[in-house]
Amino acid sequence: MTMSVKKYDIGWVDAFQSGKLYSIRVAGRKMVLARRGDEFFALRDVCPHQGAKLSSGLLTGEVVAEYPGQQPKLRREGEFLSCPWHGWKIDLRTGCFPLKEPECVRVRRYAVHLEDERVLVALSAKGSLRQSKLD
Amino acid sequence: MRVDINPLEDAPETAQLDSFRQEMIGTSVSLIDTDVHNYTRSIDDLTPHLSLRWKTYITQGEVKLPGVSMYPKMYAQAARRDAIPYEGGVAGSEPAFSKEQLLDTWHIDCAILNPLIGIPQIKNLDLGRALMQAVNSWTQSEWLDSDPRWRGSILIHPGDPEGSADEIRRLGSDQRFVQVLLMARSSAPYGKWQMDPIYAAACEAGLPIGIHFGGGGDVPITAVGWPSYYIEDHTGMTQAFEGQVISLVCEGVFVRFPELRVVLIEGGFAWLPALMWRLDKNYRGLRDEVPWLKKLPSEYILEHFRVTTQPMEEPPNSQHLLQILDMIGSDDFLMFSTDYPHWDFDAPNRSIPQIIKGELRERIMWKNATHFYALGL
Repeated sequence: MTMSVKKYDIGWVDAFQSGKLYSIRVAGRKMVLARRGDEFFALRDVCPHQGAKLSSGLLTGEVVAEYPGQQPKLRREGEFLSCPWHGWKIDLRTGCFPLKEPECVRVRRYAVHLEDERVLVALSAKGSLRQSKLD
Repeated sequence: MRVDINPLEDAPETAQLDSFRQEMIGTSVSLIDTDVHNYTRSIDDLTPHLSLRWKTYITQGEVKLPGVSMYPKMYAQAARRDAIPYEGGVAGSEPAFSKEQLLDTWHIDCAILNPLIGIPQIKNLDLGRALMQAVNSWTQSEWLDSDPRWRGSILIHPGDPEGSADEIRRLGSDQRFVQVLLMARSSAPYGKWQMDPIYAAACEAGLPIGIHFGGGGDVPITAVGWPSYYIEDHTGMTQAFEGQVISLVCEGVFVRFPELRVVLIEGGFAWLPALMWRLDKNYRGLRDEVPWLKKLPSEYILEHFRVTTQPMEEPPNSQHLLQILDMIGSDDFLMFSTDYPHWDFDAPNRSIPQIIKGELRERIMWKNATHFYALGL
């Protein structure tokens, strides 16, 4: 069965700055749009923890160190959205906040397309695209 | 640039107050927030309340107000990112912004302000006394006068018990002040008799003592020395609360002041049952050291203490919360709080699990605080 998908035009690509978050509304749904270079991400604008508006958060990276005392490094900069309240970090590529691998708390994601310098958010007839279509 | 205040997700703008509360918060009548923070934009906010001597001293020396925590935080000012009122501004420093983002958004009937300004860290007690009075007068004129839903806490300096007692007497007749404020971490435990003037004045005024997360004395902030990280600082704060509870009970404060009541603010509560069991057990064998105690330590705790909810304990199995409350043994014990505008803010509709419902939920969300603080709502 083919799922019907509708694309919603959000605006010009140049209207969105890299490294910034935007609160948008698409077909009545509140979303946070993130731009990282030429990539765009759209997620539901609600933190699954206590309901904070994720678009008030910030884009950041993942801090890693293999053992105590090793100088920590920031990697994948701009690929994580940090919740404005409790700082839970959501991976923009998966919508996951990993508490304990492989388990995670997931934020709903929406597919974003760039066509003719326009940013389009795609919604299925039922709402978001299924996760498998995004991965 | 002013930051847009985010409307509550999913809250219909036209929602009626009662249905909003019932649907969002799960309570029927009211909502009380027992821990909110008001900050100065800078020390300049206090100068109208200072003498010429101290104005000159502050200007000449470019004196800044000390805070109550020394570890760098994840976010600026340890604040919710959406609570900074304008670019370069201080979270919790604009009464109108806090009113809108907290009181109006959540339909809060009454919120208790706890100014986290490091007066207790000031070693010059003359300056400390002047700033203590200035902070409280500023709370009175800038905050309490701005909206009838605010209530205040009288910030005091535990290193100056006599001056603090005078300050409680100065403001005690203003019924908008509902408690006296101390910080959890201190140079000496609060059960020491040197603190008696403060407790005497609080009892005279009918005010409870609020002991809030934070502070720092002349000793390391944990029982084992200085940690490296804020996560250790924050999590380890329960040690300070435990130390103060043990001290207040064992050193006989409630024998000397049977009317005294104490609120533990932002210190959690899951640790309390274990502390009560341990104290009661030791009391059986070691009571000769504290012969003035006429009841089990746990009985003093249940009678004299109350606890605020934020940061809410979040066990993986929320049923365990009910077990903890059962172990504490009193439905009167917990009072809801948000800790606005801090990063670990607890949302009224999400932080208290839905398994806590009915009369117990009503008590936590408003009844206990209304009764304890005699809010007269």
